[in-house]
Amino acid sequence: MFKESSEKSLKNFLILPSVLVLLCFLFVFFYGVYLSFTDLKLGKPTVNFAGLKNYIYLWKNPLFWKSTKLTIYFTLVAVFVQAFLGILLAKLFSTKVFFAKIFRPIILLPLVLPPMSVALMWTTMMNPERGVLNYFLGLLGIESFMWISQYSTAMLSVIFIDVWTYTPFFTLIIYAGLLGVNQEMKEAAQEAGAGAWTTFWKIELPFMMPYVLIAAVFRIIESFNQFDIFIGTTGGGPAKATTVYSIYAYIQSFQNLNFGRGTAILFVNWWLVLIGALITIKLYQIARKRVS
Amino acid sequence: MKKIKVFFSGILFSLISTFALADFDWKKYSGEKIVFAYDIHPYVDALVEKLPEFEALTGIKVDAQIFPDDVYWNKLNLEITTDSGAWDVAGTGVQPTWDTSVGNHNVDLSKFLNDPSMTNPDYDYNDIYASLRSAMTWDVKGEEVVGSGKGVWGLPHSFENMNLMYRNDILGKHNIKPPKTLPELTATCKKLKQVEPGITPMALRGVNFWSSVHTAPASIAKSYGVVDYVMKDGKIADTGLDSKSSIKFHKDYVAMVKECAAKSWPNDNWYQVVDALTSGNAAMAVDANMFGFWNNIKDPDGKNPSGKISFAPPPTAPGAKNFESNIWIWCITMPSASKKQGPAWYFMQWATSKKMVLDGAMMGKMVNPIRKSTWDSADWKKYANQPEFNNYYDTFMEVQDRAELFFTPRYGFGEAMNAWSVAMQEMVNGRPVEETLKELAGSIRAGI
Repeated sequence: MFKESSEKSLKNFLILPSVLVLLCFLFVFFYGVYLSFTDLKLGKPTVNFAGLKNYIYLWKNPLFWKSTKLTIYFTLVAVFVQAFLGILLAKLFSTKVFFAKIFRPIILLPLVLPPMSVALMWTTMMNPERGVLNYFLGLLGIESFMWISQYSTAMLSVIFIDVWTYTPFFTLIIYAGLLGVNQEMKEAAQEAGAGAWTTFWKIELPFMMPYVLIAAVFRIIESFNQFDIFIGTTGGGPAKATTVYSIYAYIQSFQNLNFGRGTAILFVNWWLVLIGALITIKLYQIARKRVS
Repeated sequence: MKKIKVFFSGILFSLISTFALADFDWKKYSGEKIVFAYDIHPYVDALVEKLPEFEALTGIKVDAQIFPDDVYWNKLNLEITTDSGAWDVAGTGVQPTWDTSVGNHNVDLSKFLNDPSMTNPDYDYNDIYASLRSAMTWDVKGEEVVGSGKGVWGLPHSFENMNLMYRNDILGKHNIKPPKTLPELTATCKKLKQVEPGITPMALRGVNFWSSVHTAPASIAKSYGVVDYVMKDGKIADTGLDSKSSIKFHKDYVAMVKECAAKSWPNDNWYQVVDALTSGNAAMAVDANMFGFWNNIKDPDGKNPSGKISFAPPPTAPGAKNFESNIWIWCITMPSASKKQGPAWYFMQWATSKKMVLDGAMMGKMVNPIRKSTWDSADWKKYANQPEFNNYYDTFMEVQDRAELFFTPRYGFGEAMNAWSVAMQEMVNGRPVEETLKELAGSIRAGI
């Protein structure tokens, strides 16, 4: 009896550090949430509880709704395109094509670059007058493009940069999934007369899907929080064309010194991340069940 | 008898002077150590180079922490407003100091300036240009900044006034004269596009941050009669950004941007402006005059377009009597949380002393110098009038009389002025000027 209770105490004691670490994480999170209910402004000597004032401000502010749309649009389009290209590249890499062998390590390079460097590199390349991209378009006889410098093309250009940077992440995960596809099942299908397309559609893709979705969970979380590429290219402009939540919160907090409002935006963003991640995890569970 | 009187008066005067001088002692804080933070900048390079002189003079050690531009401003805000006490002296500008002075995060330096035991009798604060001293002077009442007052929140360290800078090799080649008004500037760009289709007529900041509006827009707008805020009984009563004169200015300015600026204008910051002038990719710029000065310096590698940049006052409204030039002041401030305010003040007065300002200018780094005595000195006159600097000196003297801070002191300056820069992007993007300015003014009014 005594031995059992001391064993239990020891277990509780050993868990304590993990609980403390968890509490530290939670404290920072809840402190951020608390700040969103205050009128904290950098420089001002007093901080008062403001209730829902920051949230009401956001609710009434057209820029907040525009920013909501932009954040969701950016995340959905970027993640979808990355997943699509990731599947294509992973499929290519699983073949014995000579170029696939060469490109397999090279394609991962964008992933190891710091996002800020990526942003600066693309900003230079996307310069409408002196950028190398328009130079190449010119060689092909295509008129120069405005890229990140025009309202109508800025968001698509940033998505393009994000896709270039993070498609390799999808490729890597999906390729690992493809390697685990049951070969016997594939061979049996082919012997039964299934063509390459049917084999891919009916066998490989369902097997890949859980991997696609698990990669999507990570990318959805990161895309909702994407900051570096936006700040390094457009800074939210031109004329609010790329003011996603992370940029909007940064402008409110660090340029306008309104930390209360900035944290309120980030708390809303946290809900979006949570909803996006939960939906994707649910889809992952369905895909996994289907495969098993 | 008269001789004896004169003799004793002389002795008395010597004694008083000796005691007065003895009050101030450069070695008073010998052995102390302070932390000085600044942005990567030629201004601070000059100070760092001369630090051994300060350390020998005072016995105070200085740990100079220099940060990249993109990191520095956020770090500065956080260090000062959280009263971390990590820095004893911080480089900043007037506008950010409005925001940090309201919570008493900065020391009002007048207490040191008015204390003969703390300030070197040779310091001569009034030798600093009046427009710079006045820009650094305000009072804090409650949580508001009141523009006229006695509080001194920083010492000007070097400053920029806005000029029209132009590549004399490009304009000269086509016999084009520097434009005097905003519509003339637009017309000049049109002409330049025809004769030099390979270059951008004008380098211009356009990023969605207030640093874009404080150069060309603020300077030219003032000559149209535009004000950021309308004052009543010493208080901010309204904004002037949707006034008739403002609408007129913005229509002309938007037309100018469309004709003159690079296609990358919404993403262009000061470094793109400097780069375009250096490389000759742009023929003109209305921006900080020292960009032209530094580009004109003869460098051993021959990378600078030395001698190719000339200066003129900023363009004006059509028919305006005078040009106007906004200023940006680099100043050094003392965080209230500093536990070494005495040694920090010694460093600040040394860094802005007559000797340091002249030395820094003669190094070609602390330009524009803040002191009138520097501009009057034969050494600086000789240096700044070298042929490669073209008409830098004369234009400065002409512009300086009308160079002053465009903006009204206010906590939360950034929010309204950032909104102005975003509105500018919207107007250039095609949104109607009146509608945009009305919305901008509405958002500013809501914050007054």
